[in-house]
Amino acid sequence: MKSTITIMYKLVAALLGLLVLSNTFVNAQDDLLEREEKALQAAVMKASPSVIQLELVGGLESQQLGPVSGLAVTTDGFILASAAMIPANITSILATTPSGKRAAAKVISHDYSRNLVLLKVNTEETYPLLEAIPKDEIIVGQWSIALGRTFSKEFTNQSVGIISASNRVWGKAIQSDAKISPANYGGPLIDIHGRVFGVLTPLTPNPQGGQSDGSEWYDSGIGFAVPIADIIPYLEKLKKGDSLYPGRLGISLTSGNIYDLPAEVVAVQPKSPARDAGLQKGDTIFELAGKPVTRQSELRHILGAHYAGDTINIKVTRDDEIVTAELTLAQDLEPYEHPFLGILPDRNYDQQGVLVRHVYPNSVAEQAGLKPGDIISQLNETPIKDHNQLRVELANFEPSDEVQLHYSRDGQITPINVLLSRITSELPVLQAHPLPVAPAPANNLATGLVEIKLPEEANECHAIIPTNYRTDVPHGLVVWLHAPGDVNDDILKQQWATLAAKYHLIVLAPKAADDNRWQPTEIEFIRKTMDNIINTYNIDRNRIVSFGRQAGGAMSLILGFSQRDLVRGVIPVDAPFPLRAGISPNDPAERLAVHAILVKGSPVSNAIGNAIKALEAAKYPVSRTELESPGKITDELRESLTQWIDSLDRI
Amino acid sequence: MHRLFLALFFFLAGIINLTQAADFSVISAGVQPKMVKVYGAGGLRGLEGYQSGFLISDQGHILTVWSYVLDTDYITVTLDDGRKFEGEIVGADPRLEVAVLKIDTDGLEHFKLGASVGVKPGARILAFSNLFKIATGDEPSSVLHGIVAATTPLNARRGAFKTTYKGTVHILDAITNNPGAAGGALTTRNGELAGLLGKELRNSQNGTWLNYAVPISELIPAIEDIIAGRTRPRSFDEDVIRPDEPHTLKTLGIRMVPDVLAKTPPFVDSVAASSEAEKQGIRPDDLILYINDRRVDSCATLRSELELIDQIDNVILVVQRGDELVEIVLQGE
Repeated sequence: MKSTITIMYKLVAALLGLLVLSNTFVNAQDDLLEREEKALQAAVMKASPSVIQLELVGGLESQQLGPVSGLAVTTDGFILASAAMIPANITSILATTPSGKRAAAKVISHDYSRNLVLLKVNTEETYPLLEAIPKDEIIVGQWSIALGRTFSKEFTNQSVGIISASNRVWGKAIQSDAKISPANYGGPLIDIHGRVFGVLTPLTPNPQGGQSDGSEWYDSGIGFAVPIADIIPYLEKLKKGDSLYPGRLGISLTSGNIYDLPAEVVAVQPKSPARDAGLQKGDTIFELAGKPVTRQSELRHILGAHYAGDTINIKVTRDDEIVTAELTLAQDLEPYEHPFLGILPDRNYDQQGVLVRHVYPNSVAEQAGLKPGDIISQLNETPIKDHNQLRVELANFEPSDEVQLHYSRDGQITPINVLLSRITSELPVLQAHPLPVAPAPANNLATGLVEIKLPEEANECHAIIPTNYRTDVPHGLVVWLHAPGDVNDDILKQQWATLAAKYHLIVLAPKAADDNRWQPTEIEFIRKTMDNIINTYNIDRNRIVSFGRQAGGAMSLILGFSQRDLVRGVIPVDAPFPLRAGISPNDPAERLAVHAILVKGSPVSNAIGNAIKALEAAKYPVSRTELESPGKITDELRESLTQWIDSLDRI
Repeated sequence: MHRLFLALFFFLAGIINLTQAADFSVISAGVQPKMVKVYGAGGLRGLEGYQSGFLISDQGHILTVWSYVLDTDYITVTLDDGRKFEGEIVGADPRLEVAVLKIDTDGLEHFKLGASVGVKPGARILAFSNLFKIATGDEPSSVLHGIVAATTPLNARRGAFKTTYKGTVHILDAITNNPGAAGGALTTRNGELAGLLGKELRNSQNGTWLNYAVPISELIPAIEDIIAGRTRPRSFDEDVIRPDEPHTLKTLGIRMVPDVLAKTPPFVDSVAASSEAEKQGIRPDDLILYINDRRVDSCATLRSELELIDQIDNVILVVQRGDELVEIVLQGE
């Protein structure tokens, strides 16, 4: 009996102990939640006075403009805000001052690389500043609070999350899962001590021809802040009214997967920082600005964090030697223009060198006496393996550069000097490329009208594969983007089947999810259909063309200018250049030609004319055809365009 | 002796259980029995026919948002335990966009409106609702966790929001702006009632969706009026005193749309020239919501209510004009 009682005493004692412990635990948890909440609130209270409300009055666009946020970065009223929220040509900006008054503010300069704008408030008052968090103290997983001052002038609106990643969007931003939206763009992302990580702004790693600025990701669990530590060194420059621009090197790297390939230079643009620093084709960059580079993507990360005007070190390997140089990143490179010899290569030729298939009339090749059947074997000192190599080697030259070629005719090798001319975009008159002499290898791929169905994509897509498709013949690829409401695969097949067989083309016809309108975001789907065809059929990467009418034509331009690694030609019909797409600089390695088709009397003809001028100024090869009747492409013109597509591997 | 020890043992064990109550999961479990799923009209033009609500009395009163979902004769309310009831609309205040439903049962767990609390920006909150209709039958409502992002009057940004409610709202740092979430409960992290989750609203100035809840304190007077029948049309009561010479639509100069339905919405069709209605600014297409603080839901109710107002008395109308509510006083003779 006694022992039972002892046991019971012990049990009760144990339970009492547990009770105390459990209470302590719950209190501790409660206490932690409460302390955490208080700490977050203290951080918000501390940071709020530096968060400014900006009211916008008037602007280019007629939309209603709500108030937006800004962050004071100097005591005398310099404010950083998100450029996405401040339209161009804004009439007036009113900023809150520390005393709660309003004062006029004006735009001083932009950070065009990271979507920020610097404003100056016209006030004598002193703004409180926030302590900046050094970049090496930013740890993924720590608390982050996004602050804005849009709902009210009196207090800030807050959203709590954690730091999700650092070094995002090519080294330009840190990422948070706090709700980041127009309600706080321009405001700060702060830590639990009220110190500032950075300024909130929409950013996107893939600005599809400028169609997206990242703001469609608002409140989605992914948002960005530009590290304040990255901006502070440039603040003096910005304050002087000097805007910041992305920095450019002036090199082209090997085409392909940037996450896989080393940063091997295939072309150095004339009159570029890279050329001035003595970089050469064949160099492999292994270090930039003190950071190692093993893949092309790392180069983009490092470059993304720098601005034009920055002087950085570069280290490359060249023939087993290490070469070090210093270069100053450029804002704008003088537009690059491709040189032209005036020949088409024979695509069946499988020996060393380039077999000339066609010589352009009045070209430098013709003047130098080159004839179809000649074999070009050397450019200056470089032996030429095939036509792709010759094209890449020539990308290191400009029109009016002089080069020496070796060619063989009837077994005799002759050197000639030629003065290169400008690449053209004219519609040539051509015979179809001959088929290989060897018998056709077995083909078990589908031909005719083929449906391309991609997993997880609602859009439809068809392809016209020529009935005489041969796996050993590289085919051109025409991506046809329909005009609103104009989707008919049968008519498409009628128009293209014969031409596709004659000129070895595959026609790909992705459709908008809504027949009546294209969404710029559908570029991604179109790209997937292209990758699908390229992975299945033998596609000649020199002859991939986007072709579209009206809204489809605008899409073809967006596609061409956003998918530079694939598209080599664009044929927009009766379509203006989409304003927001922007003209990216011409690239030595990724060629792109445009043949615009205008319709007489069309309301967009003027806009197209201006776009052509802008493309010419950017040194793109551009040509045009004007149609008499609206939107009607004759079979004759279609064949002529097909020959243009066939000539895109011109050298 | 044994018995004493055992009693002590279970008592202590019980206390240990109670002390776990600060856990979110325990708090959620405490709130869930008060939550209901509301099903009504919808299905047209992609509008969803469901929303959320919660019990506010042991008599089966349910607070929810006033919306097209309730615009039907058959409202189904599903309790947390899966039981289904027909919901009757006790009343609504379109100005605050709230409605009170009643189901025929009692003794249910409920939130006490008087015990509701205020929350400040930065406070942790839980949001209970049946967003996306994800819970059916006896499945519990979904719980979202976040903080109060800001507390602000909705009219702080004139024209930004298409809603008749212009009072104070809590902007939430939780994505509550989803189909079906409207009518859900906003609670503190301890499960105390703090607000009613609002309808889907888009900010027309920057195109973003707004996550918000209306503080309960803003709604209590209206809810009490609804439950007490103070907003009920007087004409519903049989023993009401009728004046000899009441107002009529004709004497006021208002012509309503043709009364062809059982409940024709009281839209003004036209206003007679130089009438009192014209003088005070009533316009065609105004929707009459209130007459002398009594809710009007049809042309028929409007006529019966007018019969109870003497011609010498003023008639106070609240009309909805677009997204604005306008109060108009028509002078008696």
